[in-house]
Amino acid sequence: MKFDIIIIGGGLSGLTAGIALAEAGKDVALVSAGQSSLHFGSGSLDLLGCDEKGNDIYNPLDAIKEVNSKHPYNKLENVSSLAGMAKQLLERAGIATTGNATSNHWRITPIGGLMPTWLSMEGMATVEDPNQMPWRKVALVNIVNYLDFPTKFLAAGLRDKGVEVDIKAVTLPELQELRKSPTEMRATNIAKVIGNNDLTAKLADQVNSVAGEDYDMVLLPAVLGMTNDKNSKHLLELIKTPAQFVATLPPSVPGVRMQTMLRRRFTALGGTFFTGDQVTEGLFEDNILKGVKTAKLDGTTLESDNFILATGSFMSRGLRADYNHVYETALGVDVDDLGLDRKTWAKIDVTDAQPYMEMGVKTDENLRCMRNGTTISNLYAAGSILSGHNSIKRLDAGGVDMLTALQAANNIIK
Amino acid sequence: MTTVNNNHYDVIVIGGGITGAGTARDCAMRGLKVLLVERHDFSTGATGRNHGLMHSGARYAVTDHESAKECIQENMILRKIARHCVEETDGLFITLPEDDINFQATFVQKCTEAGIKAEIIDPKQAMLMEPSVNPELIGAVKVPDASVDPFRLTMANVLDAQLHGAEVLVYHEVIDVIIEQDRMTGVKLRNNHNGDTIDAYATVTVNAAGIWGTVIAQMAGVKINMFPAKGSLLIFGHRVNNMVINRCRKPANADILVPDDAVCVIGTTSLRIPIEECDDMRVTPEEVEELLAEGMKLAPSLGSTRILRGYAGVRPLVASDDDPSGRSISRGIVTLDHEKRDGLAGFITITGGKMMTYRLMAEEVTNLVCQKLNINKSCETATTPLPGSEPKEETKRFSFSQKAAQGRHGTLNDAIERGEAASDALVCECEGVSVGEVKYAVTKLHVHNLINLRRRTRVGMGTCQGELCACRAAGVMCTDDKSAKKAINDLNGFINERWKGMQPVAWGDNLAEAQLTATIYQSLLGVDKLANERRIEYYEI
Repeated sequence: MKFDIIIIGGGLSGLTAGIALAEAGKDVALVSAGQSSLHFGSGSLDLLGCDEKGNDIYNPLDAIKEVNSKHPYNKLENVSSLAGMAKQLLERAGIATTGNATSNHWRITPIGGLMPTWLSMEGMATVEDPNQMPWRKVALVNIVNYLDFPTKFLAAGLRDKGVEVDIKAVTLPELQELRKSPTEMRATNIAKVIGNNDLTAKLADQVNSVAGEDYDMVLLPAVLGMTNDKNSKHLLELIKTPAQFVATLPPSVPGVRMQTMLRRRFTALGGTFFTGDQVTEGLFEDNILKGVKTAKLDGTTLESDNFILATGSFMSRGLRADYNHVYETALGVDVDDLGLDRKTWAKIDVTDAQPYMEMGVKTDENLRCMRNGTTISNLYAAGSILSGHNSIKRLDAGGVDMLTALQAANNIIK
Repeated sequence: MTTVNNNHYDVIVIGGGITGAGTARDCAMRGLKVLLVERHDFSTGATGRNHGLMHSGARYAVTDHESAKECIQENMILRKIARHCVEETDGLFITLPEDDINFQATFVQKCTEAGIKAEIIDPKQAMLMEPSVNPELIGAVKVPDASVDPFRLTMANVLDAQLHGAEVLVYHEVIDVIIEQDRMTGVKLRNNHNGDTIDAYATVTVNAAGIWGTVIAQMAGVKINMFPAKGSLLIFGHRVNNMVINRCRKPANADILVPDDAVCVIGTTSLRIPIEECDDMRVTPEEVEELLAEGMKLAPSLGSTRILRGYAGVRPLVASDDDPSGRSISRGIVTLDHEKRDGLAGFITITGGKMMTYRLMAEEVTNLVCQKLNINKSCETATTPLPGSEPKEETKRFSFSQKAAQGRHGTLNDAIERGEAASDALVCECEGVSVGEVKYAVTKLHVHNLINLRRRTRVGMGTCQGELCACRAAGVMCTDDKSAKKAINDLNGFINERWKGMQPVAWGDNLAEAQLTATIYQSLLGVDKLANERRIEYYEI
């Protein structure tokens, strides 16, 4: 099988590149193992949230100019324009977001913290100024016995910032059924039950009955709408008080929705999506990648003019460390291990900047991968698999994923 | 300065490890008024940092007849009194091509002399009994080794001591002893949660503080030469073996693999360390290498099994010579009557020994305490079952979490609220811990933080090492805004504690899991930003 471009990895980065290239009229195939770090997401995407010292950044676009020389942002031609393109790409996929690259806003974390972020899916609770909460009195309405929305922490966090908070809980008979199995009270299951049984209106009635008009905001767990934003939007409309969603512990319903909608957009544009599969071998010839073999397409080689590697970091299995070294799992391209070995790549205190986080594949200035020190002319890398950044310390995961993907796509189209 | 209830006790027991807990139980059962004090949580010293091996005594049969005899006697007693803490796995002593097969005959003979049933079995038969064993083995001996949960065993002893009237103070550290003329009359305690100090008085004080007993003795002006020997171990994410696997040779490093619950543990190394290091021990990369290399000789599949974490404990041996390895010392029980030895009345140290013989140690020291108090009452700990292990028709349990709780708490699991969706909701999916079990532990089992909870219920001990359950458990534990803030700090501490064990073995799936946990707790939740304390004490590691 032959395509214009093959993308390895179906997370935020791979899908972004896939959509951008398909929109440019390319014949794109994407091989995805099925999981994505979006499933652990917050419903927001970060561009650059914290500086070197861990302080919140207010203007990410400005702050990006100061990132160290190894950061993937250095390989972007025009950050501002790419950031705008990313927002529009999401919009075209039906994912409306608030936020922009010149001023961060703050998302409310499931335990009541405030984290700087770039784009938030519409309906998610955010604030413009971390020092001034826009609400006087909030009703925190959970689903009865749903443990992954820690209301006591959330309430304590909001009260700490001067907000009056009442904790409420609602339920529906259909959700009671779910509770009979103690493992099933999880975000995605709740979303399925509400979606499959058309329970949005009933849920809104319940919320309205516990959170009257003396509240100026109702905050709810983000457990509606796995495949589109119909139910979540509808619920907010039916609640009489202004209402918004707060992210829950994983699995993340907004994250699953984002991935689903991006994938739908990609296939609607004519992209080919190989799901539940993974690349096992790359066929290299004279520093050109000719094709890849996958685990499921037994014997078939997927050929293409250009490739993008977007398989993610360790947690997404794009990188793997064995006893002695770190390697890239799909194609065996060169990895920047910072010259560290097992004794030094992880530090004792979990909150220290962990050196292993910055490991990733080596790329040239055009985001092209290398093999045995030589650039592969038609193999690009994008997203978390890139070396040189720590998305946990700097809060830059969403930006690195989308912007490097768009840049790689641009580099290919050029 | 206040005193504990203005009360005078018959006996104060220092140390919430298995020896102290066992001693408190024995003393309380003989009708004494007991105060048990522990500076941190129960089982934070050597008790919670060993293999969880219930020795048959076979390991010591050739080198230390007395210890071997004590082991097998206690082994048989624990099977009866601590049923819910013990898993009767049996053990193999295997001979590999590099070992001397002639040792096997001596081994079996010495076992028999000590009263340990040692049965030579055909290597092929051994492989059928224990499929994970190294197929190159040339000899195998079956012995009555077993697996024991030291956290559970300690808690059961504490619970029984309390049932017999003992008072218990955790997070209370002895900061000085009170001496009047040539008699110790009590101890000064500091509450490690709030810094308050209180005095407690007793006719007899028992020092059961393990390796830290040397420091307690020092406060009393008494010298005990301890021999701190650090032992490191690795926990694997799967239970590859169902029987304990040992090497049939003189005891050496990393030659015991014990199945514990859903995991297995290889250990140990042995390294003499200075006493100051006992409060902050780390597993070194060299130790990881040795444990893995030797472990794979027992069960080759360990090479491809995920290592969950590494940890280290320190054996509280009493120094008698300059052997740098610490292995030729007897694991024998040492009871020091400081009245006779040092002219200080009212003070006794119980040390040496091993987890296996804790009950016997408790019996010996309680005998001495009773003698000092002129009390003539015989020991009943060898025949009275511990709470949770009473002979009782067990309720049939069907769900995974109910069975898991039954395994953890024995008959006491009937006290766990269940049947309602609210109490049955699962906090920890790896270990099957329900909301009801968390609440039970918090109200009944001296749980002050998530790490205490882990020791009582196994929350966060499974393959994910606390990825989601830590946050859920913290949520269940907190009641108001004040406790919510404490719980956030606690959560931060717990995540760091889990990482400290993973860090020495941070590769493969472990590193992937660590990155995911960091993503959830730091990026998604922002727990490190919210927490205003990041200090983690060694004892919480």
